[in-house]
Formats: sequence, structure tokens, C-alpha cells
Amino acid sequence: MSFAWTRLVGSESFRLTAIFTAAICVAMLVLMALVYAITHEALQNELFSAIDRDIAAIKSGYRSQGISEAREVVNQHLYHGASSDFLLLETSWGKKLAGNLPPMTPRLGKVFMELPPQASAGSHQSRHILGEGLMLAPGLYLFDGRDLDLVHDAEEDELAAFLWVLLVSLGLATAGGLVLSHLFLARMDDITETCRAIMEGRYADRVPERGAGDELGRLVGTINAMLDRISGLMENVEQISSDIAHDMRAPLTHLQHHLENALSEARNEEAYRGAIEQALGETERLLAIFHALLKIGQLEEAIDVRTLPRLNLSHLLEEMADIYRPVTEDSGHILAVRVTPELWVHGDRTLLAQLIANLIENARAHTPSGTHITLHAEAASSEVVMMVCDDGPGIPQAERERVFRRFYRLERSRTTPGTGLGLPLVAAIVRYHGGSIELDDQAPGLMVRVRLARA
Amino acid sequence: MKILLIEDDDQTASYVGAALRKDGHWVERASGGAQGLSFAGSGVHDLLIVDRMLPELDGLQVVKELRARGSKLPILFLTTMSGIHDRVNGLEGGADDYLTKPFALAELLARVNALGRRLERSGAEVQTVLRAGPLEVDLLTQTVRRQGQPIDLQPQEFRLLEYLMRHAGQVVTRAMLLENIWQLHFDPGTNIVESHMSRLRAKLNRGFETPLIQTVRGAGYVLRLD
Ligand SMILES: Nc1ncnc2c1ncn2[C@@H]1O[C@H](COP(=O)(O)OP(=O)(O)OP(=O)(O)O)[C@@H](O)[C@H]1O
Ligand SMILES: [Mg+2]
Repeated sequence: MSFAWTRLVGSESFRLTAIFTAAICVAMLVLMALVYAITHEALQNELFSAIDRDIAAIKSGYRSQGISEAREVVNQHLYHGASSDFLLLETSWGKKLAGNLPPMTPRLGKVFMELPPQASAGSHQSRHILGEGLMLAPGLYLFDGRDLDLVHDAEEDELAAFLWVLLVSLGLATAGGLVLSHLFLARMDDITETCRAIMEGRYADRVPERGAGDELGRLVGTINAMLDRISGLMENVEQISSDIAHDMRAPLTHLQHHLENALSEARNEEAYRGAIEQALGETERLLAIFHALLKIGQLEEAIDVRTLPRLNLSHLLEEMADIYRPVTEDSGHILAVRVTPELWVHGDRTLLAQLIANLIENARAHTPSGTHITLHAEAASSEVVMMVCDDGPGIPQAERERVFRRFYRLERSRTTPGTGLGLPLVAAIVRYHGGSIELDDQAPGLMVRVRLARA
Repeated sequence: MKILLIEDDDQTASYVGAALRKDGHWVERASGGAQGLSFAGSGVHDLLIVDRMLPELDGLQVVKELRARGSKLPILFLTTMSGIHDRVNGLEGGADDYLTKPFALAELLARVNALGRRLERSGAEVQTVLRAGPLEVDLLTQTVRRQGQPIDLQPQEFRLLEYLMRHAGQVVTRAMLLENIWQLHFDPGTNIVESHMSRLRAKLNRGFETPLIQTVRGAGYVLRLD
């Protein structure tokens, strides 16, 4: 618990709550001070307007019937009025004529006085009186005042109420802040918990999604989506590595069998030599597979194709056709080139040459003799479209996506030599150049269409 | 030839060193970039073999440093399969040829001999007519004669013959032909070299008894001088 508490106090949300609460308190204090000042003013005004009414009555009594009437009004007032009223009518030489205050030296205007306890009957406390002194007539002094303690009491009540309001709102703000912080922290804990679980190898764990609408909910959603993507990639990598392991096992097993056979069967140097040469051939093939895999792996990440040199693709296609013409003729294929001149792209010559070589190679290796192979290239708005077509058996629609997987080969190609890495490498080269590739039906035959940005 | 081999891996160094010695070369080995540079400073070597991956000073820096010092020694650069840019970097850095590890020994020996030959030839004036045995190739008129008889070749066949003539009497590998004639720096699945070669051979041999181009098993081809 104490651990949770220190964490709570240390948390960002707690600091925010504290700042917020402090701000509320300051605002409330300012407001209360203002209200206090206004009520104080209003109470005093009220007090003086009551005094003014009294004085006006006494004045009019004096004017109509003289001193005796003034004394009468004062006495009447004291008789009927509240015990908080204090009046004094005296001559300016200190002779009290009426009132409930002891005679005093006349003071004019707003007067504040403190009355000792014994001076007023029935009170053991000194009283604070605020009032007004004036000369009713030459030689005739009148003081009319009110007990200020009443005003003070009202103001004290007001302050007490303010204090309570302040305390309650402070409590509410703090409690609310703490509860909110706690909820927030709980959701952060969810995230931490899940991350830790994933670090420990529980890759299927996800952050629980509560309150999907808010920022935190969105963050959680994004984190989960990211985790889904990562686990997708990981499955892909696992798939690829198990594919690789599987596909490498066959040639390695062959190699092992040949060597074992040679060891037990070979009788003379010539037989040994033959076996070793065969084994060398097999290791070379294995290395070629590794080489292709490494190349594909390195091309996985796309680059900014404009950093690559400009290259005349039309030229490269013509050259590749010249290089491949004899070998295609030898296998009875007919190679033709229909290329618009001066098509420029940004590209790595070695990689693009390999791309074209692999496609020509496929059109030759997976089709019967007599098949026509055509290299096309033309400009299409901002792109160069390059096509390698043949009128052989083609690739069925359902298989067109799968042939891009590493080691995938059609059933009918089982006996043709090859590793199933040609098209994956082609796709990786296209991706590296920021282009796109699609396989289409040439009816009959296969059309491979590659689009690259024009330079 | 006196060869300086800069290679940190003991196994590769002894394997390569033994093969070179067996082929008649004298081999000195440096196991790091800095040591390699100081050995190369002695000036006794005819050729350098530099591995790309070296501790401290890497192979590319060694090559650049040597060229910066004005060395004209032929350099063969050894790269690994996992560096697609190593070849270009190596050649731009000043290497004369490159070889991707792992390589066949026959490939290495053929390249070393070709580089050594280049050394002998350098300084000779530009030739416009190449002669080897009964063959004569005129580079300006693009004509070929065998014992005076004209032979009609296609452009690709002509380029192939020209390269063989320049390396007459030497073994040239398939990869050397692909790289130097057609700028193909990868191993194409089919034997495209064989197809060109058989056409060239057929044309050169028409009406003659002795074949001029020999196949060397497991290595490549050689244009005979005799
Ligand atoms: N032009 C084509 N016509 C018919 N089928 C094709 C064609 N090109 C490819 N294929 C099919 O797609 C499969 C995958 O081709 P890919 O180039 O990836 O591998 P491969 O040619 O079998 O081997 P590798 O190219 O590694 O030597 C081939 O095995 C073949 O079944
Ligand atoms: Mg293929």
C-alpha cells in the first residue's frame, strides 16, 4: 500500500492534480475576499442609513417642539428599539439629557468607540460601537450609534461558511484527482504489464482495451495494432526460416548420401574424383541458394530510387536479348524484342540485368521448345512498363501469388532444375526500385509486367 | 609473382596461400590492415590480395590508402556475399578486380594470373591488331583471320574472341567472361557462356583440324597459343 502511495505521489497525474487543486483554491480565495469586502461595505451602508433615519426623526422632533420633544423621541426610540442601538443627547458642556450612553466629549462625524463592560447594563464584555455625532443645535450634541459586534458576528459567520466551502472543495478536488490518477495509472500499468509479458516471450498478450474513445484508448489501440503487425512479421520470418531449413535439407542430404556412397563404393582414384566433383557441384548449388537468399534479404528495404544512377532500360533489354539469344535458340525458343528506344529509369544495372535474366530464364526453362518469348517495353505517363511474355503453359490464376514465395515451384516444375528463388528475387529487385510487378494471362502463356518510375 | 595476401582469417589465408604457392607464386601474408599497409610499403610485391573485412583498418581503407600513396600495384579485392555494394565500392576505391567469398580456387588463380599479365602488358602502346597463334584480330575493321582466311563473326562472338585473345594462353573463367564481356555480375542459371562459346568454336574450327579454344574442367577456357 505504501508502495502504491509513493508511486501515486510520484506520478505525473498526481502532480497535475495538486497544481489543479491549488489553482482552484487560489481562485476561490480571491472570490471570497471580494464577496467579503462587498458584504462588509453593504453592512456598513445599511448601518449608517438606519442611523440617518433616526437622526432625521430626532431632528424633526427638535425643530417642531424643541429639546423636550427631542428627548422624548430619543427615549421612545430606546424604549421600542433594539438593544443594539446606542443614543446620547447632551449639552455641549457635558450634561446628559437623554440616551443610554454615559456623557462624553462631543465628537463629530463618523465615530468609533469601545465601551467598557460596566458602562452598559447587562453586558460583561466591552462593546464596539460605530455611529455618527452631530450638533443638533448650537450647544446640543447628538450621538446615534449601533453595536458593531452584530456586524462582526455576521461577518464571522460568513468567513466560517467560506472556510467550510473551501475545505470541502479542496477535499473533493484532491479525492477526485487521486481517483482519476489511480484509474490512469491502472491503465498505464496494463501497458507496462503487457510489454513485460511480451519481453518474456508471451507474444500473444495484448493490452486490455477499456475506454476506447479517449487518447489513452487510442494509444492502447495503436500499441495492440503494432503488436499484431510485429507478430505477423515474426510468423512470416519463422515461416521463411522453417521453409529454408526444409528446402536446404534435401540438397544437404543428397550431398551426404553421395559422399557416403563414394566412401563405401569407390574403388579407384577415378571413382573418388568423380564423387568429389559431384559433391563440389552440389555444394556450389547450395552456396548459390544461400547467395540468392542473402540477396533477397538485403533488398528487403526500399531505398530512394532517385539516388540510383540513370540507366537506359531499352539498351539493357536489347543487350540482354543479345546475350540470351544463343541459349534460347539452342533450346528451340524464339526470342524477340519490341522495345521503344530511349526509355530511362533510375536503377542498379546489375540488379536490373538479373531481373531481366531471371524472367527470360523462366520463359525458357518452364515452357516447351518452340515457344515464343518477347521482351516489350514502352512508356506509360510517368512510368516505364516492361513485359516479358511467352506463349507457353502460363501460371494458373490461383498460383500467381504463391510463385513469389521463396522456394515455391509449380507441381509440374518438380523435375525441371531450379530452386524457386528466381521470382522472389525478381520481386525483391522491383521493390528495391520502388516499382510494381504483376503476372497476367497471355492466353496462352505468361506475361510478367514490371512498372518502374521513369527517370 | 610475389603476392601480398592481406587476410585476417587464418583458415582462408592458409588455403589461399597454399594454392597460390602451388601455382608457382611467392606469398607473404599480413593479418591486419595496418600490417598489410606497412608490408606493401617495402615495394617488393607484384600483386595484392585484400580482404574486405579486416580488424582495425578495413580492406577498403587499405586499398584507398595505397592508391592515395600513388601505388599502381594490381589489387584483387575479396568481398562477402552479403555486401551488394562492396563490389562497386571496392572498384571505385581503386581495386582492379574483385572476388566474392566463398570462391573456387580455380577462379582465384585465373584472376591472379590475369591481373599479373595486365602488369606485364601495361606500358605497351595501344594495340589495334591482336595476334595469337594462327589468329589475327583487327579491332579497327572488326575482322578475324585464321591463317589468313577470313572468319565472319557476330558482334557477341567477336567480343568473346577479343577477350580470349587478350588473355591468350591463360585460363579464363565463366565468371570472368560474364563480368568483363557482358557486365553480368551474377551467376545466371543457364550456361549462356557455353552457347556463345560453341558458336565461336564452330566458326573458328570450320575447315581446320585443331581446336583453338580448350575447355579446362572445373575452371574455364583457354585460347591455345601453339
Ligand atoms: N514463364 C513461365 N511459365 C510457366 N511457369 C512459370 C514461368 N515462370 C515461372 N513459372 C513457375 O513459377 C515457379 C517459380 O519460378 P521461380 O523463377 O521463382 O523458380 P524456378 O524458376 O523454379 O527456379 P530458379 O529460378 O530459382 O532457378 C517455377 O517453378 C514455375 O513453376
Ligand atoms: Mg526461375
